Amino acid sequence: MSGHEADHPMSATPIILADGVTKRFGTNQVLTRVTLPVMERDVVCIVGPSGSGKTTLLRCFALLELPSEGRILMEGTPISTAEPDRAIKTAARAVRSEIGMVFQHFNLWPHMSVLENLIEAPLRVKKMPRDQAIAMAEKLLAKVDLADKRDAYPARLSGGQQQRVAIARALAMSPKVLLFDEATSALDPELRREVLIVMRQLALEGMTMLVVTHEMGFARHVGTRTVFMDRGEIVEEAPGAAFFDAPKTERAKRFLQQFEEE
Amino acid sequence: MFKYQFRWDTVWGSFDFLMSGLQMTLIVSAATLVLAMIGGLIIALLDMSRFRALRWIGVSIGEVVRNTPILVQLLWVYYVLPIVFGIRIEALVALIIGLALYQAAFISEVYRSGIQSVPKGHVEAAQVLGLSPLQSFRRIVLPQAIKMTLPPLASNFVQLIKFSSLGAVISVSEITRRGMELSATNFRPLETFTFIAVVYFLICWPLAMGIRFWERRLQNR
Repeated sequence: MSGHEADHPMSATPIILADGVTKRFGTNQVLTRVTLPVMERDVVCIVGPSGSGKTTLLRCFALLELPSEGRILMEGTPISTAEPDRAIKTAARAVRSEIGMVFQHFNLWPHMSVLENLIEAPLRVKKMPRDQAIAMAEKLLAKVDLADKRDAYPARLSGGQQQRVAIARALAMSPKVLLFDEATSALDPELRREVLIVMRQLALEGMTMLVVTHEMGFARHVGTRTVFMDRGEIVEEAPGAAFFDAPKTERAKRFLQQFEEE
Repeated sequence: MFKYQFRWDTVWGSFDFLMSGLQMTLIVSAATLVLAMIGGLIIALLDMSRFRALRWIGVSIGEVVRNTPILVQLLWVYYVLPIVFGIRIEALVALIIGLALYQAAFISEVYRSGIQSVPKGHVEAAQVLGLSPLQSFRRIVLPQAIKMTLPPLASNFVQLIKFSSLGAVISVSEITRRGMELSATNFRPLETFTFIAVVYFLICWPLAMGIRFWERRLQNR
């Protein structure tokens, strides 16, 4: 816990912060008092065995799950608690689209073309003029190297292409932080690379990112901070590569061993 | 049977009479489908309501309708409603109301499964991007759900064409009734009812085949 306070001066406010978040589904406790700040330009990678609560934590940040205890704060303002009052709900609605999310299974809307997927939220939520939204969408598609697919439907695209469209769709709302939920896990190995390249590019451009991943290479080389979770708790966190070179806990060492054997 | 002298001319001679019945059959089926689609939506909304009392009403209508014979429902609407409300109901109106109520109970299930066929992730994607629940329903859920409900709704239309023959019992002059009237005067039930069965088949079979083809295309998409 002392790690991040040393890295960032106390005065800086995290872009998003999980503050003592506990999550239970029925009697099953998935998260136990997790506190995790994400500072501007941070690329925080959450790693850990499956069932460790990584995805649930991310979904709490994305406001898709309410914490059972604790709070989620965005730039110091509470936006989610167990029983959000009116003020918190209003605050959540105001910042909702500033927290982007990329899903494991892309979740593109199949009845809309690539372009329509990208402009839907800017048009409806930001009330952006149509020509402006289209111009921006085309720029984003060029950025993820899919300019020629603007009129294609998602079903015609490979998984890697779909995920790149999903990233562009999230970027279209100019989020302050982008959450990635195992964004490459559903892809064949040869398609993962093209998605990871886009993610690395975003990191280099200074995008604030919170990345749940099994890609240890990405966490080591692109992440600014690695968070190791196990059984609903943050067990260890360290800057970028330090976690991989010198894991402190027994659980982390055991977890990393599996990847050496591969 | 072999000595039977077919007299198809008795049918051809009343062709227009029978076809006016067919016209009534199609009008009843179409009007009923429209009403049943609206009624089905109301029942579906009741079923999914936040209020327990409303859910209970929706579920009860569905259970009663699905677990009593349609002919009894029809007779009930035609004979009982006038007693309860003290008004005269035209046989045609009673037929449409009775059939629509019956079909609405099934169509509400069609809507529900259409909505449930849309993956949760599509809605979550909309939510994360800031779309309101209403926007997400209108723009993401509904267009996909409608595509899934169209073939079953078309199947319901085929069913209604067949069920509308029950109108004969309460003397609505659709094609089956016309056949009964004709065979009572020409004494030729074999030709008359065979012809009518063929007419039903020629309308329903191609529709059913078309729908099956349509559904397969939706699934392979």
